[in-house]
Formats: sequence, C-alpha cells, structure tokens
Amino acid sequence: MVRRQFDLPFADDGSGRFLPWMIALMVYLASLATVAALTTREVVERWNAGLEGTATVEVGPAADDATTEVLVAQAIAVLRNTPGVAAADPVPADEIGRLLEPWLGPDAARENLPIPRLIDVRFDAHTNVDVAALSRALVTAVPSARFDSHGLWLDRLQALGDSVQLAALVIVVLIAIAAGATVVFATRAGLAVHAKLIELMHLIGSRDSYIARQFQFHAMSLALRGGVVGVLIGALTLGALTVMWRPIQQAVLPDLTIGASALVALALLPLLAAAIATLTARITVMRALKQMT
Amino acid sequence: MVRFQGVAMRYANGPEVLKDVTFHLEAGSYHFLTGPSGAGKSSLLRLMYLAHRASRGTVKVFGHDIAATPRRLLPGLRRRVGVVFQDFRLLDHLSARDNVALTLRIAGVREDTIRAHVAELLSWVGLGDRLDATPATLSDGEKQRVAIARAVIGRPSLLLADEPTGSIDESQGMRILRLFEELNRIGTTVVVATHDQRLIARFNHRVLRLADGQFSVERPTSLSGI
Ligand SMILES: Nc1ncnc2c1ncn2[C@@H]1O[C@H](COP(=O)(O)OP(=O)(O)OP(=O)(O)O)[C@@H](O)[C@H]1O
Ligand SMILES: [Mg+2]
Repeated sequence: MVRRQFDLPFADDGSGRFLPWMIALMVYLASLATVAALTTREVVERWNAGLEGTATVEVGPAADDATTEVLVAQAIAVLRNTPGVAAADPVPADEIGRLLEPWLGPDAARENLPIPRLIDVRFDAHTNVDVAALSRALVTAVPSARFDSHGLWLDRLQALGDSVQLAALVIVVLIAIAAGATVVFATRAGLAVHAKLIELMHLIGSRDSYIARQFQFHAMSLALRGGVVGVLIGALTLGALTVMWRPIQQAVLPDLTIGASALVALALLPLLAAAIATLTARITVMRALKQMT
Repeated sequence: MVRFQGVAMRYANGPEVLKDVTFHLEAGSYHFLTGPSGAGKSSLLRLMYLAHRASRGTVKVFGHDIAATPRRLLPGLRRRVGVVFQDFRLLDHLSARDNVALTLRIAGVREDTIRAHVAELLSWVGLGDRLDATPATLSDGEKQRVAIARAVIGRPSLLLADEPTGSIDESQGMRILRLFEELNRIGTTVVVATHDQRLIARFNHRVLRLADGQFSVERPTSLSGI
C-alpha cells in the first residue's frame, strides 16, 4: 500500500512554493540549451554529409550570355579532364535564379542581370585531388573562374557547431549545479523548520535514512513537478520558434526541425532534475542528521 | 534494565537539574516517579529515553552504557522504549491513526498489520470513532490517549509515561493505569512520573522521589513497615 502523506508537514514549510518554480526555470533553460546543441549538431552533420566530396566552381559573367556559356564549357572541360573528378555539371540558370530569389526578387534570372554561373563538382571518393593545382589550372583556362572546395567553410561550420555544443554542455552543467544548490538550500531550511519533529522521530526510534527518505521523496516530487512544467514551456517556446523559422528556412537557411534525439533529451530533463533533487536531498539530510544526537 | 550511577544532568550551560542520582530498575518492575514541579522528573525521563546525555555518571539502558553507545545503535534501543511525553508531542498534520502508526512505520512494520493494530488500540482507549481526527480537533484528554497509544503500540520493554493522567478524568486515568498494569504483568518495565499522590497511594508500587535535588527510592507503602 502506498501512502501519499508524508510524516513531516512539508506542505506548510514553504519549500513547495518556491522549489518547483526554481526547478521549472532551470529545466526550461536547460531544455533550450540542450535542443540548441543537438539541433546544431544535426545541421552540421547534414551539411557535412551533403557537401563532403563536393566543390563549386563559379564562373564570372562575361559581356554576353553566349561568351559566358563558352567559358563555362571550358571550365567543365578542365574539370572533367582532371583525374579524381567524378562529375562536373553546370547548375541550370533557373536554379541559380531560385537561389537568388530571396535577395534579388523573382525576376532576377530573366532580367539579364550579370549573374555568375555555377558548376557543381563531385570528387571520386578514392582519389586524392590536388585542389590547389586544380584551382590554378582552372584560372589559367578561365580567368574569371573561382574554385570553392567548401573545405574552409565546412571547417568553420564544424568549429561553430562544436562551440555551440560545448557552450550548451557548460550551461547544462552549471544549471545542474545551481539546481543542486537550490535543493541543498531548501532541504536545510526544511531541516530547521522541522527540527522538533525530527527530534521526536529520532526519539521514537527513527533511523536517519527514514527521515532522509521523507525529504528525498518530497524533493523528488517537487523537482519532477517543476521539471515537467519547465520542459513543457521549453517545448512551447521551441515549437513557436520552429513555426517562425519555417518560412525563412525554405529560402536560405537549413531545416531546423527538432529531431528525435532532442525530443528524448527533453523528456529526460525532468527525470534528471528529479534525480539530482533526490540525491542532493538525501546527502544533505544524512550529513545534517549525523551532527545530531 | 535501567541503571543510573552518580548521574548528574544540566541543560546546555545551565545549573545541574539532577545531581548524583543512583538507582536500578529491574526488568519487569513498576515505579512511580514523583516530586514537586520543577524537581526534574521529566529531565530524568529524558535521560532514560536517550534524549539527553548525562553530564556526569553512567546511564545504562538495556545493558548499554549510553555514553559509549555508537549513534547507529540508538534507534534500536529507542524502539524498545515507549514514551508518553508530558506535552504529548503529537504531529499536528497527521490523524490520530497516523500518529499512532508512526511508531510502527518507523520500525518498518507492514501497512496492513499497522492498520489493524492501530484501529484496535485506539478503540480500546475510547477513540474508535476519532481515528481520522487531527490533534487540533481533539481535546487534551483525547490527545493524551493518542500519545499513550503511540507509546505502547510497539510493545516496548520499557514504558516511560510523563504525567499520563494529567489531562484525563479519573475513570479514564484508572483505565490507562490498568493498561500499564497489564503491560507490566506481561513483562514491560514501567515508570510513571506523576505528582498525584492519590494515584501513587492507590497502587502498590515503588516510588522514586525527587525533592530539593535529593533523590530517594521508597519501597511500596504496604511493605514499608516490614
Ligand atoms: N529545555 C530546558 N532547558 C533548560 N532548562 C530546563 C529545560 N527543561 C527543564 N528545565 C529546567 O530543569 C528543571 C527540571 O525540569 P523538569 O521539567 O525536569 O521538572 P519536572 O519535575 O518534570 O516538573 P513538572 O512537574 O512541572 O513537569 C527545572 O528547573 C526546569 O526549569
Ligand atoms: Mg515534567
């Protein structure tokens, strides 16, 4: 049989009023940090997977379209003659127009603006291509060509992703410490408020662990309640951000849909908060009671 | 069972409220503890239920020298002592039932056993219809009976009662004292602190008397002439 009531009157010691809200706030912040880290990682991984082994060659616009076409063809010829290049295909003009649409408007491609042409390059995975030599060869053949191996850009993206994750990890750890400290504070206050009853429980034969269990379960239920509230508000915030993100994302920015791993992490946060609260309360009570007779 | 040897006691840095107390309670004995208000009756009981340490002398309970007993063994000893506190010390947020049950819960007794025993004992002390009442809604006499039930529910081998009849009427008081007699008959060592001389006169038990810092043990009145 499970008893819902505690032997100690936690209901009127004030801890129930502030601890859940503190935990809710902390879990809320932790949920944002966690999702930021996991989403960043997914985006970086997706871009990495999509861009690895590829490069883009940009051919500057010539006086007229026909000349530009010739330059593009020359660049493609150089590329296709290079060992290790698996494919080199021009990006169709209307696709470039679509890419530029958010900046230049829907008619940019048709208005004969001097827009550079792009060539998608895919390398053979097994051959090491001397990118610098290829770049030089290209410029020799077509002076207006510019070779972009994505490597530098991907490195920077990776570094950014790593930094975001590290920062998020540090934030979550700090929040966990703050949550622990809050529980220590609340538990000490509870010990002081209930000192008389704790003495009584000792006198009728209670072990420290029995008293600690009361504080433990109380802290656990408060943290769990606060944690669930915090994570729900976090989910609402993230949901709203996703909705606001979607129209922009279609044009330029990566898809930031919250993945399954982030959802699992969100579900775990209240449990983590409850675990921290339980453990902290137990240690705090056991230590304090050892000083008593 | 309980042995005091040259025991003195003080609260914090206050004066000694007990000086040089020596006595021995045999297992299965029954004593009244009496003396004027402020003489130190409650204080002497505090030493016996291990709420306080002696400032001098040795206190032995169940053969354990309390000063030398490690902390982890105290709960075990305390569970063998039932205490009726002078001010009851009930938990205000718990029902009469849960107050009494606390003794057993702390000792890890199964919930269904607890339910049956507690209800039976509370009925016996006349509170069968107040099982779910909280102390705030009980009269002093009713509270006292809850406190007594909490002290005896665990079948302690040493029962210490501090003015257990102070708040109840004479017939209820006699009923409670007869319960104590009953428990004593089946082996419980009993100490009842009271300044009610009529009560002491009615029962034929040895008396521990505290007066003016002096401590003495008196034989039962009926035997004093022998
Ligand atoms: N917690 C305490 N702190 C300091 N002094 C105390 C404390 N409790 C009792 N005393 C003092 O110890 C002395 C003995 O008190 P005690 O309560 O043992 O007397 P008592 O015989 O039980 O009295 P009563 O018949 O009124 O219950 C008194 O002088 C009292 O003032
Ligand atoms: Mg007293």
